[in-house]
Amino acid sequence: MSVPIFRAQSWAFAFLFIGVLLSRDISHASPHVVGYERFHVDSPNAAGGAILFSELGCANCHGGSDVAVPRSGPSLNDISDRVSRDWVVEFLKDPESRRKGSTMPNLAHGLSDEEVESVTNYLGTLGKGLKLRPGRHANAENGSALYHEKGCVACHAPTADYRGPAGSGESLTSPLAISHPDLKKKTTLTALDYFLSNPARYRTDGRMPHIALDKQESLDIAAHLLDFQASDPREADAHKAWPKAGEPSVQKGKSLVAKLNCIACHAIPGKKADTLISLSAPPEKDAGHCLSASPTAGIPSYKLTEAQRSALVAFLKDDQPKEPGSREDLSLAAMNCYACHDRNGIGGPTINTNPFFHGLESLGDSGRLPPPLTGIGDKLQTEWLEGVLTGKPKNRVRPYMKTSMPAYAKHAKVLADWFVKEDLKTDSPPITIRPDDIEVGKKLLGIQGGVNCITCHNWGEQKSLGIPALDISSLDQRLRPHWFREYLLNPASYRPGTLMPPLWPQGKSMVPDVLDGNAERQIAAIWGFIKEGEGKPEGFPDHMPGQFELTPIVRPIIQRTFLEKTGTKAILVGFPGEIHLAYDGSKGRPALVWRGKFFDAYNTWFVRSAPFENPLSDDVYEFEASSEESGRFRGYKTDGKGNPTFLISKEGQDIEDSFRVAEKTLIRTLTWKPGEAPTVTHPKGVSIEEKKDQASVTFTYSWK
Amino acid sequence: MRKIIYITSALLFSYVFAEDKSGSSYSRFELITASETSHSRSAEWKPGDGITLEVSGMAWMDDKLAVCTRKGDVWMVENPLSDDRDKIKFNRFASGLHEPLGLHRDGKDILVSQRSEITRLQDNDGDGLADAFLTECDGWNVSGNYHAYAYGPEKDGQGNLWVTLNLGMGDLANNKIGWRGWGGVIGKDGEFVPKSLGMRSPSGMGANRDGDMFYSDQQGTWIPATPIYHLRPGVFFGNQESLPSLELADAPFKMSKIPEPNQPYPDAVKSSPEFTAPAVWLPYNKMGRSATDIQVIDENGKFGPFDGQMLIGEFTNSSVNRVFLEKVNGEYQGACFPFLDGFPAAVVRLSFSPDGSLMVGMTNRGWSSLGNRSYGLERVSFTGDTPLEIQEMRAKPDGFELVFTKAIDAKTISESALSLSSYTYEYSSKYGGEEMDTKKHKVSKISVSDDGLKVQFQVDNLRELHVFELQTTGIKSADGVPLEHSNAYYTLNRIPK
Repeated sequence: MSVPIFRAQSWAFAFLFIGVLLSRDISHASPHVVGYERFHVDSPNAAGGAILFSELGCANCHGGSDVAVPRSGPSLNDISDRVSRDWVVEFLKDPESRRKGSTMPNLAHGLSDEEVESVTNYLGTLGKGLKLRPGRHANAENGSALYHEKGCVACHAPTADYRGPAGSGESLTSPLAISHPDLKKKTTLTALDYFLSNPARYRTDGRMPHIALDKQESLDIAAHLLDFQASDPREADAHKAWPKAGEPSVQKGKSLVAKLNCIACHAIPGKKADTLISLSAPPEKDAGHCLSASPTAGIPSYKLTEAQRSALVAFLKDDQPKEPGSREDLSLAAMNCYACHDRNGIGGPTINTNPFFHGLESLGDSGRLPPPLTGIGDKLQTEWLEGVLTGKPKNRVRPYMKTSMPAYAKHAKVLADWFVKEDLKTDSPPITIRPDDIEVGKKLLGIQGGVNCITCHNWGEQKSLGIPALDISSLDQRLRPHWFREYLLNPASYRPGTLMPPLWPQGKSMVPDVLDGNAERQIAAIWGFIKEGEGKPEGFPDHMPGQFELTPIVRPIIQRTFLEKTGTKAILVGFPGEIHLAYDGSKGRPALVWRGKFFDAYNTWFVRSAPFENPLSDDVYEFEASSEESGRFRGYKTDGKGNPTFLISKEGQDIEDSFRVAEKTLIRTLTWKPGEAPTVTHPKGVSIEEKKDQASVTFTYSWK
Repeated sequence: MRKIIYITSALLFSYVFAEDKSGSSYSRFELITASETSHSRSAEWKPGDGITLEVSGMAWMDDKLAVCTRKGDVWMVENPLSDDRDKIKFNRFASGLHEPLGLHRDGKDILVSQRSEITRLQDNDGDGLADAFLTECDGWNVSGNYHAYAYGPEKDGQGNLWVTLNLGMGDLANNKIGWRGWGGVIGKDGEFVPKSLGMRSPSGMGANRDGDMFYSDQQGTWIPATPIYHLRPGVFFGNQESLPSLELADAPFKMSKIPEPNQPYPDAVKSSPEFTAPAVWLPYNKMGRSATDIQVIDENGKFGPFDGQMLIGEFTNSSVNRVFLEKVNGEYQGACFPFLDGFPAAVVRLSFSPDGSLMVGMTNRGWSSLGNRSYGLERVSFTGDTPLEIQEMRAKPDGFELVFTKAIDAKTISESALSLSSYTYEYSSKYGGEEMDTKKHKVSKISVSDDGLKVQFQVDNLRELHVFELQTTGIKSADGVPLEHSNAYYTLNRIPK
């Protein structure tokens, strides 16, 4: 990153000039930079100015951003296939009018309407062109659930009419929420789906991060955001093709775009200026500069509040050495990591967003709230941390949390290295594994004369004896050993309110007869066993009922087996929410539904004689037999939540039979093409609600 | 969890019983081994900690190794060729499958067998987890009997995807309604197209360099010892429990004669045009007790001087055997040789890596083996140090020719160094069968080629459809190193003219 030279004294002029501005009534809205709004809006200072300087793109022309990942504007490629032309024209003329709080400055204030049209025409030529076509059917209701549970509302406002999370009544809108543009005017269902499926295509700076969504989920969220309540995407408003522009106009637009230096923020064809625009010269006049209310033509116009201006000026005047930690604060605020994570007591969910984080109740807040980032570069091994930031599925160790950590694939290495550089302690006492103590570590992890780790923690596929706290069998692949030592000595110092008890209060062991009660040796022995030991901790019963019980917590579990009352091609689907399904793949129809516990896989997984199995519950409901010929089973697909859609072909008709569980009901949606609705049977003894659509029907099975 | 220290010592222990005799020519690298010793026939067997990698299928997906397990998972192994265990990562791609026993790559997709179908696994959203489980092929009877396994698919040179189906055995077994004991290919509409019958437990398939498909069967009812067959349409491999499906409408052919049981194998084979003898017998105990996978070596010498030959996994002996085949009068026949042994668990699947090393996938599930671990995955690499082996044993009109991997010392070759006997088996419904009609043969007119690589000799009373067992004594290379494996077994179905 280039380092510009600030000459603070030359900014005295600007300061005077702002004094003039302060007396003016500024009623217009201002750019919304969440890290600034949250932490600095009340006291204009250099730290707040630093965030603005980065996030308003000032640094892109002037240099001097100190954030880990620089801010950039979105890619404008394919804009003519994704965005309404009218919207673009209006946005260029006044960004704030099309998107409240937009950080895009007005650059068109000196342009004629015709010139704005030319710029638009040129932008319309960017990219290789997209051929977006409506595909699968959408479900806005599901999209609403996803939008409000996955973590979107950590940054964006909940939808106005959303009544949840379950039972919480009014939705709470944070003044920090990053607004959406009027999406219905800006874009289409298909284009928004395409964008959400991988925001990094166009938003390269990670400010709008990538959340792992499958094709159905991104479409459903798009449908929710556009309030598209029908199912067939062909019924949604289609994108209006941009009219073909004349070449002279395109060329004129191109030269305007070059002149306006759009390339400083947006990745567009052309060459970036070799030199940054120096800040050493004072503004020549009281008007005309980019901080003024009416910059001259060609200079970006930001509708800053006085406080924002003051903060920026304070930042530019600031020639003090940076406080330790100020740089990290800046980066976390810029990327809005603070929306979900606390670091050194700063940030974390707000009173408005906190209720939207859900997880497993038995784990308390640590089962639902994202972990703190305090010392994260000291806690996690660099490679693991990079994997978390990349969004690798196997690095997701908290399956019980509904909020999904976004993926910052492009920036994972930069961010991971950065955290490590900031946090890694080099003076911590290391752990020394004594080979003779490793077996003692096994005992210590267990419940027979140990410190009972397995009472709460899972061990690989072996469930804990109590709550399903995260798996500790592979801690050695995630944690740094010195951090592990310090954490065990005092868990609450890392995470106040953690359920993890202090097992060595004041460094004293609760098992004084093991290794002379030496806390250091005991901790090293536990680490040594996790890293190098063989077998599992003592205390798991040999024949623990449910040792191989499958319990769906976040995602459905799908398991094939031989099942009584279903057959030899039984496909069991266990849903979170204690409603489960057995599908008969040989007949192409559902066979059983049951409530309660799901299934014990021991015999299916490990027993040679492969006996016929039964659900792990007596609360079983059989589907009525059908008099019709069964269809041919063609397999199943799962959506991003793991819900299955079974595929049947029958006499030239393709039938899809989808199941999911919501609010203690089993929801079954059938779609087909071509022809008439297929006849299906239902489970005996349950209430059935039916909702028909053109080529689909949804049955909701519920229990009184 | 890393378990290097403990496992190493446990392996040394197991090697006491199954000593690796392959010398310095092949090195081993252990990717994963079960932490618990095996009691896999115990009704209460449970896996130990870590990944239960009971390997039942393997295929390479570019630089990753896809592995399916009997428990029903598919794992993607990252960096399987690394010598640094920390770099080898196991990522679960799919789970909940019904005892998959075969895994085949098809472009970006994976085909796996399950008990009731061949399934196409796809990862459409690219997140590393399968999200489509599409029925690729079905149409055989699954009664719920444990022994009614399904294997494959495996591709032959014409692009056919072959599937083989075990006979049921024991409770709930029903071999009467649909293709139990048959092999077939995947049809255009995903239907199972039956092609040939007479199989018992056809757990391994593999095509040779000419694209011809072979399968291994296991000793048991109607199968006296371990056979390797040339798999092709319209033939009968001998197990009469598969006959009921001949009555079905879709049966591809009729048997012109069902061979009578309780007669010598050569007579039974000659009595029925469809009855096909094994290309090679692997005599019981001498060459192991239960063949599994077939993998043809096609590695440009990177796996030693055996290109074109077959490796055969061996369950009970936790070993790998080697097979040389030649065509005599248009039909395959040839010899088998012991090759690699001392693996920590039963060898079930073999797969050559892009670098010419051999991945050896193991599980003791359902049986027992000399290896005392429940499962494991090892990599075997040729060190470049060519072993002294009988590379080939070829039939001649009046005897045999041996080809060695290195020049031998002609002085160690004599009539007393080559001892030859032949035998056959009884064709019967019994579970396994003894050798019968054993005869000693006289070896004469031995000649050693000038380069010391070939030895030709005459044998009296050659007889077709018999196994010729060669025991050598004292043969050494020109530089005084003894043969790694001194025995070979040639199945002489036809005598060349």
